[in-house]
Amino acid sequence: VRGLWTSAIGGLDGLTARITAPVLDKPSRGWWLAFAGAGGLTLMMAAGIAWTLTQGIGVWGNNSSVVWGFGIANYVWWIGIGNAGTLISSMLLLTRQKWRASINRFAEAMTLIAVATAGLFPIIHMGRPMYWYWLAPYPNTMSLWPQWRSPLIWDFWAILCYLTFSILFWYVGLLPDLATLRDRARNGVVKRIYGAFALGWRGSLRQWALQEKLHTTLAVLAVPLVCSVHSIVGLDFAASLMPGWTESIFPPYFVVGAMFSGFCVVIVLAAIIRKALGLQAVITDSHFQVMAKIVLAASIIMGLSYASEWFSAWYGGSDADRGVLEFMFKGHYQPLYIAMLACNVVTPQALWFPSARRSLPTLLIVAVLVNVGMWLERILIIFETLSHDYLPSSWRLFFPTLTDGAILFGSLGFFLLLFLILSKVLPIVSMHETRALLAEEGRA
Amino acid sequence: LIGREQPAELHALGHWINTRLKAPIDALQPIDPHPDDHAASMANLIQAMETNQISTLIVLDANPAFDVPAFTAALGRVPFTAHLGAYEDETGKATLWHAPLSHPLESWSDARSADGTAGVGQPLIRPLYDSRSPVEALAALGDEANPNARDLVRRTWTDLDENAWNLALAKGVLKDTAAKPLALGPPTYVIPPPPPAGLTLSLIPHPCLWDGRYAPNAWLQECPDPLTKEVWGSALRVSRVDARRLRLKSGDRVRISARGAEAEATVLVVSGQATGVMTLPLGGGRRAAGPIGSNLGVDVGGLRGTGSAWTVPDARLEKIGGEGRVLETQTALALDGETAVLMPIFNLADLARAQPPQTPPSQFPELPRGDHAWALAIDAQACIGCNACVVACQSENNVPVVGPEDIQAGRDMHWLRIDRYDLGSDEDPQPGFSPIPCMQCEHAPCEPVCPVEASVHDHEGLNDQVYNRCVGTRFCQANCPYKVRRFNFRDYEAGHVYGDLDVTALKAQRNPEVTVRERGVMEKCTYCVQRISAARSESERTGGPIADGALKTACQSACPTQAITFGDLNDPKARVNALRLETRHYALLEHLGTRPRTTYLARVRNPNAALEKKT
Repeated sequence: VRGLWTSAIGGLDGLTARITAPVLDKPSRGWWLAFAGAGGLTLMMAAGIAWTLTQGIGVWGNNSSVVWGFGIANYVWWIGIGNAGTLISSMLLLTRQKWRASINRFAEAMTLIAVATAGLFPIIHMGRPMYWYWLAPYPNTMSLWPQWRSPLIWDFWAILCYLTFSILFWYVGLLPDLATLRDRARNGVVKRIYGAFALGWRGSLRQWALQEKLHTTLAVLAVPLVCSVHSIVGLDFAASLMPGWTESIFPPYFVVGAMFSGFCVVIVLAAIIRKALGLQAVITDSHFQVMAKIVLAASIIMGLSYASEWFSAWYGGSDADRGVLEFMFKGHYQPLYIAMLACNVVTPQALWFPSARRSLPTLLIVAVLVNVGMWLERILIIFETLSHDYLPSSWRLFFPTLTDGAILFGSLGFFLLLFLILSKVLPIVSMHETRALLAEEGRA
Repeated sequence: LIGREQPAELHALGHWINTRLKAPIDALQPIDPHPDDHAASMANLIQAMETNQISTLIVLDANPAFDVPAFTAALGRVPFTAHLGAYEDETGKATLWHAPLSHPLESWSDARSADGTAGVGQPLIRPLYDSRSPVEALAALGDEANPNARDLVRRTWTDLDENAWNLALAKGVLKDTAAKPLALGPPTYVIPPPPPAGLTLSLIPHPCLWDGRYAPNAWLQECPDPLTKEVWGSALRVSRVDARRLRLKSGDRVRISARGAEAEATVLVVSGQATGVMTLPLGGGRRAAGPIGSNLGVDVGGLRGTGSAWTVPDARLEKIGGEGRVLETQTALALDGETAVLMPIFNLADLARAQPPQTPPSQFPELPRGDHAWALAIDAQACIGCNACVVACQSENNVPVVGPEDIQAGRDMHWLRIDRYDLGSDEDPQPGFSPIPCMQCEHAPCEPVCPVEASVHDHEGLNDQVYNRCVGTRFCQANCPYKVRRFNFRDYEAGHVYGDLDVTALKAQRNPEVTVRERGVMEKCTYCVQRISAARSESERTGGPIADGALKTACQSACPTQAITFGDLNDPKARVNALRLETRHYALLEHLGTRPRTTYLARVRNPNAALEKKT
């Protein structure tokens, strides 16, 4: 992608000023309004979680057969969203896709926040959340260790690794920008704080060389991690014995699904940031078009994965698997399943048309629908199998409660709230990378 | 089947058919010491009350104010009324005085069973409260100053010497006291009267609550109806044909009117219900059955009338709109096509040719066996779906009651449930029962998925749940193909209206050998591990082996048809080993390779080939 940059930015200084302004200036009215909305939703989630912790899982819709519900679906969904940030950064860095410079920073921030949000769910979904640390191998008087055969333990480590790694990767990329903020901050205290986090960055050649080497090395490590984290989430289901879950397609299909929803959230965030901060020159239409193509490709892979699920259920010949398949298309959740297919497979096909890719509203609609569809996919993986497994006597449906809804919608507010706060304290677009890009373009 | 609902002509016809078939049937001498019509006696009493002929009325251990609405109306005309009962029920509230009566388990008594066998009942515990047993109350009403219940009962059996009396107490029953079978006269062929036109309402005793007297018992409220699987209330059962004709569906609210009385009920459309007949169990609509039993189900007292009718002809149904609540613990009852394998049934002729069952191969290594290898075999042929095992398990293992709201959310806690399936068509269902405790799989899917190893296998083959290690991820139940694990979604035992309500006497109902589980942990059938443990200690103390059959699980000891057999697979002479070699032996979902220790014996039928062809 070439020719992204226009002279409208006003040179390297102008670019830096534009990106640091939202951090160093007083928050705008729009920011406060968004903050109030997100804060309200976060309070709703907090109330839902407090109610759950004091009353027990009984306040959710889970029952004796469908023992998992919104908690697990929300977790898988948020982890999926969290997948795209690091992936965009690392994969695109390694493949030398320079255009990533303007979106990687907030995509990485999105990862951090989404993984943090996701991390809430496995804990609040537990019957006795106060003992969550029993999943960790810590020395204890009972001489007990976790059960290493359980996919939940693999999951525990996968999230932990991914979160730690994502923080490191993001921080290493952020170092030069922290130094810029330190240099530009007008308030003494703020200056000191940025200075501390900048770890004495002076912009020497040696520092630049080391930073780049570390960043690239971390990017190499990121790719397997991105794949492992969601593969293991897929194994939470695939390593079971239940019809509709025991499928070898699950790990790759979960990884693609994660990128799919993650990219769509990046599109939505990019559109919002561009509009809010007036960064039309930094986040250009070409960025959206490239992401649209990735979304289109992912939707095709998702379609193929669904088809392979149907085929293997039928071809495998197991009555229980075929029963679940029939339940998908004819059972109680049929409308949701059809809606899921429409959102994830049918709608993105519009992006074959260049005009659709160029139209931001169209792209936004597709992106939002894909995320709705991906949430439906997550919840349906749980519902279809647990509501319709081996013994008909245990077939039960799931009816969500207000608390379920409060926590799901509240978590969106929580995500937004963290994002808004982060956008106030750190540059939302990578300054040093966009500057490098601009300088390169200028030379060209 | 000819039962109490049918007129005498049909009984005569039944007798004629049985004689023609040379059916081995005994006619029993009725045991009722008052062969007069109880319904008429009640009507006479009410009339006497209404005409001010009664000045003192004492009701002993009965609840006529609930059973017979006319009784309550007449009660106001009696100057002195008292009720002696274990609970302050409708009658207790309507009378001037209510005095506490001891529970049967606290009392000396004697009784006769249906065939006339006499039995002596002795108290199992000292009365929890300062109450009197019925015999003491009656004696006090007479002229005994300080009645002693044991002496009062002993006095009935003066012809027994001390040895015979002690034997009767030990056995519970007196030998050879059954009535001689009646010799019925020669049958005459009677043309039965035509069935009544229009809808007939059939009233049946509630399978768990009887006539409503057990309504305050939460265990029984939450014990599923054997056929409809309904709990916490009773719906009006309507046949599929009638439902189509009257445009009714399950959940519709209707008004039933007959004989000038009416009642409102919720419809439940069921297979196997005779066309033209609606069924409603007694015992619903209690108004004074405490916080647990009040205002559930339908009060049929008005429809039934003073005559205590079992059938109400010419009932009219009228849809009144609205949606009623029918709570069921199992909704998918029909087994068709491939799922029929879940409840295998052999024809007797095929059984002889069938091959003995083979255990499918597995890639998992065989588990090492300890001193014992416990296993349970359940004969599905013998199971009558009575739920005795379900309640026995609940009582033995401190299994909580969750209440109607959580049942509606699908959270029953029974460790042992009875799956009930229809194998035939909607018109001709062939219901079958299969009790489902934990399968104690040798290759248990619940074990490897638990992140904290709360689900572990012990050396005797039990799949143990370590409650204080459980963190409540529920992965074990998600991965259980039999769905036999139960999660404490709420704090069911304490702080819950269906728990112990902080009443000391109710706390005493807990089995002290079994942990009471807290909110947020998973629990499950343990094969009554506390009994195993006690037997093991006993055998270690005495040095002798645990004899086959000496150790019984709670479900096994409660089963009236002895369908459940528990034993040690390591003991070659154990009955459970022999049962596992039978041709009709099968394991549920065997193809999954879970190697269940709980296995089943399939049902057998012996159809008449000519009749079979016709259908």
